[in-house]
Amino acid sequence: MTLDLPTKRQEAWKWSDMAALEAAAQSERAAPDVAPADLFLDIDGPRLAFVDGVFDPTHSRPGPVNVTAIGESSGHPLGKLAAGEGWLVRLEKGAAVTSIQIVHIGTGADNHVPARIELAEDATASLVETYAGTGWANRLTQISLARGARLMRSVRLLQKSGFVSIRDEADVGEAASLVSVFLGAGGMGSRIDGEIRTSGIGAYAEMGGALLTEGDQRQEAAVVVDHAMPEGSSRQIWRAVAADTSTASLAARVEVKRHAQQTDGEQSLRGLLLDRTAQVNLKPELEIFADDVKCAHGATVGELDQRALFYLESRGLTPARARALMTRAFVADALDRIGEEAVREAFAADASRWLEVAL
Amino acid sequence: MLKIEKLHAAIDGKEILKGLDLEVKAGEVHAIMGPNGAGKSTLGYVLGGRPEYEVTGGSATFRGEDLLDMEAHERAAAGLFLGFQYPVEIPGISNVQFLREALNSQRKARGEAPLSGAEFLKLARAQADALGMDQEMLKRPVNVGFSGGEKKRNEMVQMGILDPKFAILDETDSGLDIDALKAVGEGINRIMRKPDKGVLLITHYQRLLDYVEPDVVHVLADGRIVKSGGPELAVELEREGYGTVAA
Ligand SMILES: Nc1ncnc2c1ncn2[C@@H]1O[C@H](COP(=O)(O)OP(=O)(O)O)[C@@H](O)[C@H]1O
Ligand SMILES: [Mg+2]
Repeated sequence: MTLDLPTKRQEAWKWSDMAALEAAAQSERAAPDVAPADLFLDIDGPRLAFVDGVFDPTHSRPGPVNVTAIGESSGHPLGKLAAGEGWLVRLEKGAAVTSIQIVHIGTGADNHVPARIELAEDATASLVETYAGTGWANRLTQISLARGARLMRSVRLLQKSGFVSIRDEADVGEAASLVSVFLGAGGMGSRIDGEIRTSGIGAYAEMGGALLTEGDQRQEAAVVVDHAMPEGSSRQIWRAVAADTSTASLAARVEVKRHAQQTDGEQSLRGLLLDRTAQVNLKPELEIFADDVKCAHGATVGELDQRALFYLESRGLTPARARALMTRAFVADALDRIGEEAVREAFAADASRWLEVAL
Repeated sequence: MLKIEKLHAAIDGKEILKGLDLEVKAGEVHAIMGPNGAGKSTLGYVLGGRPEYEVTGGSATFRGEDLLDMEAHERAAAGLFLGFQYPVEIPGISNVQFLREALNSQRKARGEAPLSGAEFLKLARAQADALGMDQEMLKRPVNVGFSGGEKKRNEMVQMGILDPKFAILDETDSGLDIDALKAVGEGINRIMRKPDKGVLLITHYQRLLDYVEPDVVHVLADGRIVKSGGPELAVELEREGYGTVAA
């Protein structure tokens, strides 16, 4: 296929690694080196496996999740490529489904899966997604939450190589709550891209996570939260850890429209360089047109505190363990946002495994 | 136990220790006093193995081994403990998590079995109680939001848990009120006053020495030990100042 990809000349894509995406798209398919059973967490709930973007019924028990053609599309340059068969979660008023697990295994080349999550009033769902294998996995997830609905979404990018691009488009209604937490702890390149709009009074939106990069890997997150209605709140807590000559980039934007009085937005972007040759790019942006708002934002990049490392080592920790503990503490703020303990612990373990190798 | 000969050390190219000699035998407590900037903390850091300090000459042997050849964590496993003048705050890592890992890492290096979570908690609680530290503080991030006195108590709790052979305590008495000073003094005696252990107490004041009586008192000035004597030297220093005594 020929791809019409964004270029670095476009501001929103200046840190993107489209070369890695194209290389992944052009790779050959091979036998999978990981099985769905290795990736599902030991928790109850519906399970869906996609291999190279194709639903795998033998390793799935979809429950209320429908595998079907998803009609809607997106104007987003990568998101619009995800069309055709995908998955749909549509919950009735007050319904609850916890811990839907979706695993995506790639073996090479490109695969595209669209998804829709529609929660009616006061419905509740939680969702865990895992990416493994290789190739280019491209996803579009459209989310709409009606009044009082709640969605907790945790996504981990563990592909050994290749590229994962994720595009989220969410609409959060009155007093509804969306929390999305991402962990990039594989060897792939990535682009996590989100646009969240609060369309009802008192909506709560959160999108954050941790990107861990090593070698010459590049990962990035680019998120826009648009407060269109009053009394909303949002949080974007992102941590980037970069080793070797890798690059991790975070761009987070909060827009507060004129009517969106009493918006409370928090944005915390922090980078940690494990080597001087690594790079972290941070771009926090606020665009506020209402006058009665509270928006806190901070963006800092640093190295591990030498005094703290010596303190830990003087008590007997090896230099590698001291660095691992400090780095794990650094990303904890972002991963601790995950509500379910088993999921939170699994993500923390993935981050620790990454640290064992990278440090 | 600890033997330092003609030790020279520098930081950022500036020589701070300029030929320091000192020997502490097992069962002894030595006090080091001296004016600000004399190099007392530098001595502690150099013996503890802080990488920024460069040893430019001399030697230090600890229990027969070349101390200067070991990394900081190896010195800890060999039984050395450094009580910090300014204990470091570490957000995101709890005291128990840190200390359990520290202790088990030392035990592993010595070929001993690790302590289980329950065994460790029992030990940590007993040490916190003995030093009058609230057990809740064990769960808090290392030193974060602790007062000066609480940090110093925490250093002593750590020493009690790690049970070292030799402790270098850098101004553990500064910033303590009288009750805390007493608790810390008793802690040092309880944990370290043993025939097979040694202590190097770095202090500005005589007052800690009322609780922990030193066998030898040294005056450190301009990177060298300029005078040594018995406990009476500390009293003399307190009365007359470093200027006259060290001259
Ligand atoms: N990082 C550093 N760079 C340069 N000089 C330093 C540094 N740290 C300490 N010093 C200097 O070393 C000398 C000894 O300091 P220190 O050992 O802390 O003294 P003391 O503990 O006896 O008060 C002082 O002159 C101090 O300014
Ligand atoms: Mg000092």
